[in-house]
Amino acid sequence: MNNVIEVKNLSKTFKVKVKEKGFIGSLKSIIKPKYKTIKAVNNISFNVEKGEIIAFIGPNGAGKSTTIKMLTGILYNNKGSISVMGIDPTKKRKKLAYEIGTVFGQKEQLWTHLTPYDNFKFFGAIYDIPEYVVEKKIKEFIEIFELSEFINTPVRNLSLGQRIRCEIVASLIHEPKILFLDEPTIGLDPVVKENIRTLIKRMNKEYKTTIFLTSHDVGDIEKLCKRVIIINKGEIVLDDSMENLKYHYLNKKIIEVKMKEKVNLDDKDGITILKDKGYNLKLEVDIKKTSISEALKLIDSDKIIDINISNVPLESIITNIYKGEK
Amino acid sequence: MLMEAKKEFKFILLSIKYNLAREMTNKATFLTNIIFMILNNAAFLVEWIIFFSIKDNIGGYVLKDVILLWALASGTYAICFIFFGAVQELPNLIMNGKIDSFLVQPKNVLISILISKTKVSAIGDLIYSYILLLIYGISFKNFLLFTLFIIIGGIITTAIATIFGSLAFYITKADTIAGNIMSTMLNFGTYPDGIFKGAIRILFYTIAPISFAIYMPLHIIKEFNIVNLLIVIGYTILIVSIAFLIFYKGLKKYSSGNLMSARV
Repeated sequence: MNNVIEVKNLSKTFKVKVKEKGFIGSLKSIIKPKYKTIKAVNNISFNVEKGEIIAFIGPNGAGKSTTIKMLTGILYNNKGSISVMGIDPTKKRKKLAYEIGTVFGQKEQLWTHLTPYDNFKFFGAIYDIPEYVVEKKIKEFIEIFELSEFINTPVRNLSLGQRIRCEIVASLIHEPKILFLDEPTIGLDPVVKENIRTLIKRMNKEYKTTIFLTSHDVGDIEKLCKRVIIINKGEIVLDDSMENLKYHYLNKKIIEVKMKEKVNLDDKDGITILKDKGYNLKLEVDIKKTSISEALKLIDSDKIIDINISNVPLESIITNIYKGEK
Repeated sequence: MLMEAKKEFKFILLSIKYNLAREMTNKATFLTNIIFMILNNAAFLVEWIIFFSIKDNIGGYVLKDVILLWALASGTYAICFIFFGAVQELPNLIMNGKIDSFLVQPKNVLISILISKTKVSAIGDLIYSYILLLIYGISFKNFLLFTLFIIIGGIITTAIATIFGSLAFYITKADTIAGNIMSTMLNFGTYPDGIFKGAIRILFYTIAPISFAIYMPLHIIKEFNIVNLLIVIGYTILIVSIAFLIFYKGLKKYSSGNLMSARV
């Protein structure tokens, strides 16, 4: 075992002021303020091994960002312990900063009036890297991550995709051992998303960087990660490999059929009729209870015009896990 | 420790260089900002010249003293906003959870935040302060003491703004309190201390310490006093330590945020 992140019984609560509505409510909150405590993260534990690409996902308000912020030293935890590269983020924040890189998709770290080249040099100075080393690194990054086209264009004039790519590269200037990516593909078109994913994979391969990723994009998770942690309402609801997730949860197949004639079918054990509209049929088959061939026996094969058998989309599986269903 | 301080100082200078580069994106705005600040300040001096044409002595000050007072006040303001220009925004940055990017860098968080912005008009204040020193009467000793005192004044002003700005970790609308204290320091600091009596003078040694930032330095330049100089330096060390202490204590209560933001 070579854990780079160790989290034990981690909890974080926020105290939030509660205000009654209207002007009277505002007055009351000045005289006698009321507060409520929100448990953002509730007693979670997990480890991450060196070189892993891990997806840390959950619906909005689940506690993903709060956890990532505690791991990077931005927020203090109320209970439990965190060790990132053997460092406690609350005690040795500066030391930890040399070991990790962060990219928050919704927050820019780059100076928009400077070019990516100048930004990278500035980041080099932040991490006390000698100038000749920074120059060498920039050359390497330009080549590996194909930045030559816009390396001397002010960041404010870059497209969103180019900017995110530069944000990620800037976070690599000090060769971090772990990279925390908080929704890096938010707002990007499919082509740029694919580019960013390639970049992340390359980073992991070339520099052996451990990647800790949060994303709402199932594509990111499916194409990048070998392990998934799902968090909901501050608690971990699943911590498993992507393979296991698919094996255990992809036990349902969808059969879509276009028929020559109208057919009427009823639900059977393991077979649920999702749609039965005239000539179009949609069945869900639970392959733990029955087989695809059993399901197909219900349909007259001579009357089939077209047929498609597919897995339940990963997105639906994750949504069901969020809801606590299996 | 010394190496660490050297690295931090190098980083401060680099940050200011990049701040200025940002402001120079538009040359016309950059220059007019500076020139108009000098003209704006000069207008106040004209008022004082008119006052002194009516009365020889105001609060124990003659015209020459007021010139030195304005030089110190402008210089103090200039140092604060050239080097620590983001201090005015500190409460808003805290309240809106916008200090995340500073927290993941291996540098002192408070210093990194403060130096992340430079107010261009403050360069006008700095030029103006030395023009006034020239009018007051420049000597090697005056120049050195004046430079030392505007740096000290700038640091004290920044420390006070940091202390009140850090209240944002605990209460909402701390920006109003910090803003009021800053205005008090900057406005009162341009009037002779002799006109203020009683309780208000307590204010100048406590929550709005203009006495340490401006009045004591003025009297030391006029008549050198080593004890008073040490008191001013000692106070500066104390208030800076308190500012760091309060900020870092508050930081434990920082709740971050998810607002979209850009570093512009």
